[in-house]
This record gives sequence, structure tokens and C-alpha cells, in this order.
Amino acid sequence: PPLHSTQSSRVPSTAVTSSAALSSHCLRPSIHPRGWRCDPLMGCPSDREAKAGPWRPHLNSFAKAKVLTASSTLKFIPEELVLYCRDFRVLRFRFHDSGLEPQASQVTLAIVQAQERSSGSAGTWYDSASSSAPTLLFESPCDWEKELRRLGAAGWRVSPVNERFDMATSLPKYLWVPSRLLDNELKRAFGHFNARRIPRLCWHHPGGSDLLRTAGFHADSDPEKEDVRSVEALMLAGHTQCVIVETAADLPSPAEIQLSYLKLRALCLPDSSVADEKWLSALEGTHWLDHIRACVRKASEVAALLAERSRSVILQESDDRDLNCLLASLVQTLSDPHARTQAGFQSLLQKEWVVAGHPFLQRLNLLRDNDREESPVFLLFLDCVWQLLQQFPASFEFTETYLVALHDSSYIPFFSTLLFNCQWERDRRKQGGCLAKETGGPYLPTIWDWALRYTTQQRAQFRNPAYTRGSGSVLNGSSAPVGAALSGNGAVYLFAKGALSPQTHLFPWKSGSLSRKGWRRAQSSESLSEQDRSLRSKPSGCPLQPDGLLLPASAGPLIRLWRRCYLRGSQEVQVMPAPGTLAGRVGVGLRL
Amino acid sequence: MRGELLLCEANTVLKCVQEDGSNRGAYGKLICTNFKIAFLGDESASDDNEPEFKNKIIGENDITLHCVDHIYGVYDEKKKSLSGQLKKYPEKLIIYCKDLRVFHFCLRYTKEEEVKRIVSGIVHHSQTPKLLKRLFLFSYAIAAPTNTETQSQTVMFDAIKDWREELERTKGNMKYKVLSANEAYKVSEKLPLYFVVPMSLSEESILQYQGRGIPIWCWSCHNGASLLKMSAFPKEQEDNTSQMHKIFLDGVYKTINKPPYEVLKTDDLSSSLPSLQDIQAAYTRFKQLFLIDNSTDFWDTDVKWFSLLESTNWLEIVRRCLKKAIEVVEYLEGQNTNVLLIEENASDLCCVISSLVQVMMDSHYRTKFGFQSLIQKEWVMGGHCFLDRCNHLRQSDKEEAPVFLLFLDCVWQLVQQYPPAFEFTETYLTVLSDSLYIPIFSTFFFNSPHQKDTNVSGEGHNAQSSHFRFLTVWDWSVQFEPKAQVLLNNPLYVEKPKLDKSQRKTTRFKHQRQLSLPLTQTKSSPKRGFFREETDHFIKNILGKRISKLINSSDELHNNFTEFYDSWHCKPVDFHGLLLPHIEGPGIKVWAQRYLRWIPEAQLLGGGTVATATKILDVIEEVQSLQKKMDEKHSLTVPQSREALPMLRNSARLSSLFPFALLQRHSLKPVLPTSTWKDLEDEDDLAKRDDEFVDLSEVI
Repeated sequence: PPLHSTQSSRVPSTAVTSSAALSSHCLRPSIHPRGWRCDPLMGCPSDREAKAGPWRPHLNSFAKAKVLTASSTLKFIPEELVLYCRDFRVLRFRFHDSGLEPQASQVTLAIVQAQERSSGSAGTWYDSASSSAPTLLFESPCDWEKELRRLGAAGWRVSPVNERFDMATSLPKYLWVPSRLLDNELKRAFGHFNARRIPRLCWHHPGGSDLLRTAGFHADSDPEKEDVRSVEALMLAGHTQCVIVETAADLPSPAEIQLSYLKLRALCLPDSSVADEKWLSALEGTHWLDHIRACVRKASEVAALLAERSRSVILQESDDRDLNCLLASLVQTLSDPHARTQAGFQSLLQKEWVVAGHPFLQRLNLLRDNDREESPVFLLFLDCVWQLLQQFPASFEFTETYLVALHDSSYIPFFSTLLFNCQWERDRRKQGGCLAKETGGPYLPTIWDWALRYTTQQRAQFRNPAYTRGSGSVLNGSSAPVGAALSGNGAVYLFAKGALSPQTHLFPWKSGSLSRKGWRRAQSSESLSEQDRSLRSKPSGCPLQPDGLLLPASAGPLIRLWRRCYLRGSQEVQVMPAPGTLAGRVGVGLRL
Repeated sequence: MRGELLLCEANTVLKCVQEDGSNRGAYGKLICTNFKIAFLGDESASDDNEPEFKNKIIGENDITLHCVDHIYGVYDEKKKSLSGQLKKYPEKLIIYCKDLRVFHFCLRYTKEEEVKRIVSGIVHHSQTPKLLKRLFLFSYAIAAPTNTETQSQTVMFDAIKDWREELERTKGNMKYKVLSANEAYKVSEKLPLYFVVPMSLSEESILQYQGRGIPIWCWSCHNGASLLKMSAFPKEQEDNTSQMHKIFLDGVYKTINKPPYEVLKTDDLSSSLPSLQDIQAAYTRFKQLFLIDNSTDFWDTDVKWFSLLESTNWLEIVRRCLKKAIEVVEYLEGQNTNVLLIEENASDLCCVISSLVQVMMDSHYRTKFGFQSLIQKEWVMGGHCFLDRCNHLRQSDKEEAPVFLLFLDCVWQLVQQYPPAFEFTETYLTVLSDSLYIPIFSTFFFNSPHQKDTNVSGEGHNAQSSHFRFLTVWDWSVQFEPKAQVLLNNPLYVEKPKLDKSQRKTTRFKHQRQLSLPLTQTKSSPKRGFFREETDHFIKNILGKRISKLINSSDELHNNFTEFYDSWHCKPVDFHGLLLPHIEGPGIKVWAQRYLRWIPEAQLLGGGTVATATKILDVIEEVQSLQKKMDEKHSLTVPQSREALPMLRNSARLSSLFPFALLQRHSLKPVLPTSTWKDLEDEDDLAKRDDEFVDLSEVI
């Protein structure tokens, strides 16, 4: 049926909703607007996968809006169908002839039902040539070897101990562990951690420090057992000093993130009722920017800990699958120039999110089966990266456009990357496991295959023309660890709320006085030893070249709203060309 | 500096680094002259650390007397504002500057005698009311006799020719004429020597009320609609007088409102925009957010930053000004209607709105010289009371209001939203805002051209000084070296191409569209918004019924505005055409460069827009050198090579606060939370830290 897609300016266009697409499993109405203003971000929005995740359809009939669900029946003929997309777009379809055509209700109901049905099975079909991106997927051991070589982490090896997911289903197949630890010894450590997610290396600082991540200690782990030693070996990783970073301590919980994201989304809708003069306090009220500030600040603190002296820094989160992903990858974005290239960033996301078992399916709630678990931790991370990009526009090889494209990708269910809760599920799906109803599951491309969705021209906008490659091989050169050894063996510190406090033991329950379950702050920071003081005062020299490390500011005025992503729904706010599109600006400049 | 007199000084003063509470800093001499307060460090600053973007007049540790905002003394950890006669002398002096720097001077190690002298000297010379003649401007002008007359491209609007050319440029010369009736200020002291009025206006009506109640031309739109301003009559108690005013205005009004050929819209700005008191109050609250004593204060405000910002109301005032300007644009452009702005003296908000409208509509005013000419035309010649509004003489706090700063902030919003449309950069605006307080330029130190002229000629009996001329701020070479001046120009600006066919076509098209509009639309004012009810009331009272007929009421007008605004934003931007700013909640931002530049916590090493700018300049330069090579090959004339930015290139890592903050102020510290590390530091660490500064600067 002929529809009118109406933006605020009522640009006439022909919108065709293919009924074939509607009745299929995958809802994919294609829109061919005529004279629609080019979306500054995507080039042209025509024929984009309108299944930007389940949306909330609203109906307008004579200026009255009604929210539709699958079970609702239409008692009136709608005038206009408004689709609120999860990616902040708002599509309005105006039915011709004031909605007097009977098709209007048919189409509306079909869309609503298709939306609901699509929740049943994540519609997945796609056949395409495999990608040739240099992104490391970390699915094969050679990727792990390659990256380890790049980092120059000498004391580490790739362990295939979890190759068949028999140690921990949520962990990747391969793990980086200290070389001296044999797989046999390693196996004993698993039981001590929640969901058997043991400490493992994320990143090696050229100055010698190691960044590790782990789940919390398992409640039933018995410290008296002999195999505690392998746990200790894992955590100290050959360093004399070990700082355990309580990841959750300063950061918002997934539930808080979800809550503020919902508020933010409501605020950014074009028809939000917030007056212009109250906009800033409404923005503050969402606490979204507070959460970003907390993440950025914590990540820069951890990055400073790594750069200060040679030590092992362990990120510990109770289940190691949400904020640890965020913090580990943010720290690396700050510290490692390679992570700021497109390939490096994609590899980073593969390593710390995709194979590390961030429960994308639950968090993005693509199946709409459990609202309680929904929480856009990944989107929060993208926003944090955007803040860095904003503050250091010449340090990233990719652009804001790339980040927005990534943001969009999170609601497109054709890609294996963000569709599963962990690598194990992903592999089973690939082998035609039980998740897919049909046998011999189809090939699912990764989202890194940008050519599938974006034209060459659009992809050209992913590349930042202002990117200034740092002096390159900051890594690799495994310089000697600084601050060789402090007196005292195995000094353990806890880092939370921006303060270091010394721990007597690696395990909080060893001292007996502490709760077994929680990993709380053990002691007041008053009882500080001399050794501690020297730790806190500035190090004698930062081994990393200042080129490599980004020191972001997290002060109030510098944490900004990602307007290009969140305000897409309201056209008025889009600045054309957005200040970030350097390509355009340089183009202008070159005409000089 | 010539004409500068040393008034008092004090030795062994400690200038504190404001980063934390500790008394770290540099020892030196604090002096106060009739021009500035300055701190001279004992250790002569090492030359390698010389900032590359340097103001030749005002050094890093200089504060001109006019730039002093508030002075506080610290007595036993308590902060008190200092003014007038002092009974007790403080151990620490905190100076807040109008350009938002904060200086801490510790006087604990200074001799008591000297403390007394310097503190009372500083308080006296910067805070007490002054006579105009005592301004440093005059001492300087006498002592530094004038430089040769440099012909600048900035149009000063002090000659009849300037106005004629402007009329011609905007094609306003069909309906408007330049008057020289005010030569020797016979008509009014508020008006400039020359001004432009409607062609048909009679001579006697101009003379009758000293220029009040007559519409003065500002600018003409390509479609012939004009922007005018008028100073209103003061509200009279006597019916008789107001009746006379009414009749007079009615007569004047007939000359410009001749439907259906010409339609007029009037807008009384004093009732449709915030008052000067509101503006001053908002700015006072707003600047407090950026005047920071120590870092802890700064971190504390993070969580409620946005609500604090909102509660100052400053951004809302910026938004309202921009909105008003868009409304005026809509009348001129969309409805082909003349707009008459009315204000008590037509020299405050009139200046803001009329110049904003011109920046938005006329790309000539988005070039550097054009912008400077605009400020000359609307502000300097328009009689904006810079002296009173900036409170340079400290005579009356009541008159103080940052109206010009408000204008610059509005322009900054535009620059920020459409960088390629402007020939100048935000640095230019920041530097211009700083120049408000430098008393060697006459531009911002008089209330009107009349005041300036009488004060120059007032010295007439002294034959020698009768010739003295003041410097204008537009001579940027007085303040900056050429290589620093490069930073004022936007490398991404592309000059307007010569009028080509397509452009002429669009103009013609517009005319057609406008002709098709019924010119005598019965437009009307909404209850709120463009014309408020009070305005209606006022206009009915003052201007008689004729106008009110035109402004009947309904919401149609508001819809017109939204439609105009939305439809403009739907189209791609022509950087040389009409520009409308985004004025929604998220669209208006804080002018970060001006307000955050002295705050070390806001500094990003190697970050900020300057990082991008560096890269772009590199690319441009590369392209140019390639171009040059190609040209040489073809043995063509070598095009003039642009001044490169050596300072941008040879320092690989600049901070986001460039060009304002200095690198040595910064340490790696802020990354780590201040709360933990601060209290643990002892002297040894501090010494170590000092070494680090050196290391860091070497690395950089």
C-alpha cells in the first residue's frame, strides 16, 4: 500500500512495505524515499534493515497515540504508524487517504505481529563471501599466538586447556596463562572462581606490567587445598606486586546502566516533552553521563597503575562478563595505540567481548524473552570510546561514523558476532546445534564484514583523515621492567574507589576476619607501610612513551552527549555536516 | 610600556600554583602600575618554555587593572572580599580576572610594610572609581605618539563614504540615504556622525527629538527588506507629551510602512528579551562555575554539572537571543518585511540582535574584516556603552552587563556549529573577548563616538597632543606576532566564489516566491513568543493603532517560525548563504575554549581539536607544496605560499587548551584521583615532581 513516510518536515516520499517481507520470519520493510534528506551518517537510509531490533510501534489516530502489542486488536483505522527504533531512529508512516483504506490496519497489525514473532527465533539468513578483514577473531590458536607475539609478553603462553569448553563453557577456547604453569596445575584453579572463569592475561604493557581479568572467588573454594598455589601463581604472574581492581566498586551495575539508558532514550526522542531550557538537567537526571565518567575515570586509573611500575593488575568482577569486558577493553584503548586502529579495535572487541563471553543475547535482549537481563553494557562502552575519540580526535584511526555503525550493528540479528552469549553457543550454532531449529545452520557473517552493509563510500567515512599514527612500535620492544623489586614478596593491594589498600593475603578469607563471599575492602587505608608510600608517590619515570598513553579528562564539562548517535531521531539537532566528519572538512580545506 | 608608571611593588611574594592547597609556587616581585598588576618571577623563566602563542602586551603573569574582577584576601583560612579601606592585611591575595584566570599570591614571606602598600595599592587602583581622563588609554596615547596611519581593511564607519559604500553593497541605496546632519553632534550625542535613514524622512523630524523615534537603518536584505533600529521615547507621565510622541511616530511610521509595497514589523526588545540585569546576574552565576580555587572544588561539581549550568540561565539567554535573531531573519527573508527593533537607547540588545541577524544572513560578515566592520558599525558607532557595560571606570556596578560578551558567545555557537562558514576561529573570538580589558585600544573604552571625539579634541589646547590617535583593537599586530596571528584564521574557510549563474537563479527564484506571498497577510502574534502581549500593549500605546492592525493575534506566527526553521534545517547548508543556528536544548553549548582554558583538569595532552587542526594543516601544506612543484614544472607563476604554522608542527603533542595553557603547568597527576595521592605527598615527592616537569617538557 502506498504510504507516506513523514519526517517532521513532511517530505513526500513513497514508502513501500513489502508484504512478503512482513509475512516472513524476518521483518524487513524496505523504504525507498524520494527526496529524503540524506542521512548524514549513513548516506541514505533507503533499504536499510529496518529490523533495527524490536521496536515499539505507536499508532496515531486523530492525534491520539496508542502503543501496540501483538495481542492488541485495532478498533480504529490508524492514520499513522510510528516506529520507535532501538537505534534511536523514529520512522513515521502516514497512511494515504486518512487511513480509510482497510490495508492500513492490515499492515499495521502485520508489522506488530511480525515484530513479536521475530522474537521467537532470531531471524538469520545470509550467504555471502567470507570477509578478508585483518581482524583477529580469536577463534583459532594462531590468532592468540600472533597477538601474544605482538605484545611481546615473554612469560606467557597460549593454553588450549578449554579447547572443548570442558573447563568453562563461557570462556574462550584458548587462554593466555603464565608459561611456567602446566595445564595440569591450571586445571586445579578453575574450581576456585565463579563460573570457573580463572584469571588470564588481557594485555601486556611494554613496561612489564600485565593486565589480567578474572571472576570473583567461588564461594565454595577451599583455601586450605593444595591447589591454591596455582591460583596464586596465576594471579601474581611472576610479579612481586599484584593489584586487584575491584571492577564493580565504582562502576554502575548492569541494572543501573539499563535504567539510565531507558531514561536517555526517552529524553532523546524527538517528541520528548522536555523544554529546551530544562534539557541539561534532564540529561543529568539520566545519570548516563555519570556512568560514562565513572568508566573513563576508572579506566584511566587502571592505565596509570599499569604504566607506573611493573606489576600485575587484575580486574575482578563477580561474573567477569560485563564490566570487566568494558574496563579491560577501555584500558587497552587508552594504553595501546594499536587498539585505536580499526583492525586493532575490532580484534580487541573480539578478544574482550565476543570470545570472552559477554552475554550479548541477554544484554541486548534481541529475543525479547527476558527484559530483566537487558542492559546495554556494550553501548556504554561504545559511548566511552566516543568520549575518547572526542577528546583525542587525532589518535584514532576510525571515526565517529564507524562507532555509530557499530552501535547500529548491535540490533541487527544477521551476524554471529553480537548474537550469542558466549563462544560455546556460537560454535554450537555454527555446527547446526540445537539453537537453530533447522539443521545445518547457515553461515553467519561477522559484523566486521562491513562491505556487506556499507558501500565503499560509506566505509571511507570510517577512516579518520586526521589520524596521526603514533611512533608506531611502542609495543614489541619488551623493555626491562622498571622498579625492579620491592622488598617483600607477593605484595597484594586492593584498588577500589580510587584508593589502594594493602591486603595481607590474596584470598580475602585467609585472614579469617573477612566475609568469605564478598571481596570487600579489607582494611582502612591508614595502616600504610613505607613501601606503600613509595608506590603511591609518582614513579621515577613512565616507561611508556607519552605517545601511547591517552590521559582522558573526566571532568563535568568534558563528558559530552553523543549527539550524533542519540539525537538521530530529532532531525533538528543534526548539524550538517556534523563537526566530526573530518572527511568533509578536509575536503573543503583542500579546495583552497 | 610607554606611559606606564610604577605605583607600588612588593618583594618575595609567592605565586601559588593553584593545582592543590599546598604552598608550592614561585617567588618573585609583585608590582602594580597604572596599567597592570604583574608578577615578576625571581628565576627568569627559561626561554625554551616561552609560550609560542604569546600576547605581546599582556604576559602570562600580567593582569590589566581593567581585567581584575574580584580581589579576595585570605585571613586565617577565611576568604574575604577586599575593597575600600583595609584595616587588616591578608596573608594571601586571590585575584579573579575577567578573562577567568585566578591568581593566588601568598604574602606570608613579604615584609609587612610592603604588604600594606601593595595590597592597598592594588585594591585602590583596580577597584575604586576613576575618571575617564585617568584611563591608561590616554597616558599611552600621549606617551606613544601615533604610529603611521595604517590603512586597514576594516571599515570603521567614521566617514560618510563608508556608509555610502555599505548602502551600495547591500543595495539599500534605493530607499535609504546617509545623513550628515549630526556633524559636530548637532542632533544627538548618542548618534554617530553619519547615519542612514529612510529616504523620505524629513529633516525636521530628525531634529525634533534628538534622534529618538526615528528609524535608523542597519542593513538591507537581498530582497529589499531592511533591518532598522530605533531608540524609544522614555515613558512619559503626561498624556500631552505621549500624545505628541504618538502623532510624531505615526508620521514617521508612514514613511516606512506603505502596504502593499513595504510592510513593517516592530519588535520591542526590552520586553521580549531578558533585561540587562538578568544578563548580568546570569553571567555572574555562570562565570562562578569556572573560577576555581582548587581542584577539589572542581571535582565536586562534576555530578551536578549540568543542573548547575542550567541554573545559571546563561545558556538560556544565549538561546533566546539566537531565537530572536532567527525570528527577525524569518521576517526579512521569509516574509519580505522590514523589521524595526526598538529599545530604550537602541544600543544594547539592539546591537546583539541586529549584528547576529547580519552574521546569519550576510556571509560578508563572516569574514574577519567583515566581522570587524560589523562591530564597528553596530557596536562602536552604534553607541554601545562599552565603558559602562564593562564597568571600566568602576563608577557604577548597576550599569555593568556583559552584552558584548553575550554577542560573542552567540557568534561562537554559530562558529561551533558551522566552522567552515567563518573565516575566523574560536581563538579569534576568545582573543577578542580578552581585548575588552586592554586599555590601549580605544575600541572598547568609550560609550559613544561622541565621547571619544570630545575627549580627543578636549586635549586641543595642548597642540602636541591634539594629534594623538588611539590604537584600534583591529590592528592585531599590536598584540600578536604574525605567526601567532595565523591561529586567528580558519584554515578550512573557503572564500565565497564569485557570483555565478546558479546563485543568481536562486535569488530570482526567491523573489518569485516572495511575490506570490500575499504581502498584507494579517499576521498576528501568539500569546507567547515573538510578540508578547505586553509588547502589543506597548506598541498600541506608543505607536498608535496602525501597527497593531498588522499584529493581530493567533498562533500562526509561531508556526511560521517553526516552519521556516525546520525547512531550513532540512536542506543542505550553503556556507555562503543564510545560516541558522540550532537552538534546541542540546544545540547550545559552553564556549569551552574561553571558559575552561585555565583549568588544568580540563586539559588533554595531545588531544582536543588542535590535534585535528594540526593534521589538517599538515595535509593542506603538503597539498600546497605538491601544487607548487607542479606549477614549477609547468613553469607557471608560483602562487603565494601560505604562512605555515611552525608552532603547530614542531610540537608533536599539544594540549587541548592550546594556545592558552602552558604545558609546564601540567603533570601526569590528574589521572590518578587527587584524594588518594594528595595527602600522602611530602616534600621529597614534590621535589621529584618538579624534576618531572622538566622531564615531561623535554619529552614534549
